[in-house]
Amino acid sequence: MAARPTLHIIASDANRNGKTLLARLVADYLLLDKRDPFLFDTDAPEGPLRQSFPGRTTLADFETIPGQMKVFDTILASPGRDYVVDLPQRHLQPFFTAASDLNFWDAAKTAGFRIFVFFIVDRTAASLRAAQEIAEAAPADLFIAVRNDHVGSSWPAKAASLHLSALPRHISVAISDKRFSLSQFVLGDEQNLSVDDVAILNRFLVEVLDGINGLDVELSLERFKR
Amino acid sequence: MKPTLILVGADKGGVGKTTMSRSLLDFFARKNVLTRAFDTENPRGSLHRFYSANTEVIDLGNVAHQMKVLDTMESANVPVTVVDLKAGNLSFSLDLFERIGVLEAARNNVFNLGLVHVVGPSIASLDEIGEIAKYLNGVQYVLARNAINETNFFEWDEVTHRKYFSAIPKAQEINIPKLNEMAYEQVDLAGVTFKDFIDNRSADGSAAKFSFVLRGYVRKWCNEIDAEYARVPLLQEIVAGGRGPAR
Repeated sequence: MAARPTLHIIASDANRNGKTLLARLVADYLLLDKRDPFLFDTDAPEGPLRQSFPGRTTLADFETIPGQMKVFDTILASPGRDYVVDLPQRHLQPFFTAASDLNFWDAAKTAGFRIFVFFIVDRTAASLRAAQEIAEAAPADLFIAVRNDHVGSSWPAKAASLHLSALPRHISVAISDKRFSLSQFVLGDEQNLSVDDVAILNRFLVEVLDGINGLDVELSLERFKR
Repeated sequence: MKPTLILVGADKGGVGKTTMSRSLLDFFARKNVLTRAFDTENPRGSLHRFYSANTEVIDLGNVAHQMKVLDTMESANVPVTVVDLKAGNLSFSLDLFERIGVLEAARNNVFNLGLVHVVGPSIASLDEIGEIAKYLNGVQYVLARNAINETNFFEWDEVTHRKYFSAIPKAQEINIPKLNEMAYEQVDLAGVTFKDFIDNRSADGSAAKFSFVLRGYVRKWCNEIDAEYARVPLLQEIVAGGRGPAR
């Protein structure tokens, strides 16, 4: 995907639609690509993303100034690596408002970052509108609409998007365990899944990781279109 | 252009007079207008801590110090003089200036005189408005409502609100927004101007390591204040006519 350090912002206007799974997938993709991502889990105090990547994730409560400092100041103080920011629904507007008010986007671009915003478009028309608003408000290098079949999406199926197909419930439960590593699975550690489940999860991951891998091409096409 | 003397004061303490003076000096610095300042919080001077290069601590009751401010308005070759009056000194200073002819000189257009009266959300603070009204002929009066604790100024009680805020018909009202406490404290701790904090510069001019987030909040606050100052004719006239060399 990105050769230059990139901020990957995972957002949605709704809860429980796969943001943390997507953040994990992006982080695992970066790890498989031999990158060294650092993650921000703003879902304090639970911190579901931190449970999957305890050594490279910090928990930040974005509702507080120290939490905002932890995210923005850390990123700008150490610009040479990739970052993944997982935003729960309640932090969507505060995050984008603060980033804009504080001139964070300009500072990040000056520091050499590319900005990718992944937005999971839920099944409601309001979610589609929210996606369009964020796409217009955030000066991202790439806005990636994400359709998650598990919850449904109002994003047009034929329009460009990253697609998460629905996994059987028992596999979703299995991979949501904090000890289950998606990158280790890709590298051959089947982590007690059955042969059939391994095949299903493999298909799911190939599609998603291919999609993430194709974002660089998509970015090039975007620039070409402009 | 005629020199301008701006008094910043209040009789009540803790309403944000020095913060107001700092924000004014910062505003002029951002607009490349040369200033000098006098801090009457003798002998320590909290304004002096942030603007040591162009601020002098004085005792306004001392005739020699009065001369230092008033007799040098023209010769200083600086378009704006800001005097930060210490708590409890507003009525005293206006009365003094009336007695020694300073207000008369302002009425005769020898120089421009502005008064930025900082009020907090208390009856004691608002009572000052009526008490100083008799001195304000010829003075460009700016009533600065400082939202230090995010309260309102009796807007919920129309009679009380009108009683105070309509007492001086030509008053120009501005609202000083609240700056996040953490950002305020960091600027205070650093002992630098708001401008230098935004620009990530230490007091000695070297590069600093202030928080990007806190700098952003200070920048946003300054922008909000600039929008308020844009409604004050006295300040806009100074900015339009009193630019010094770019710094």
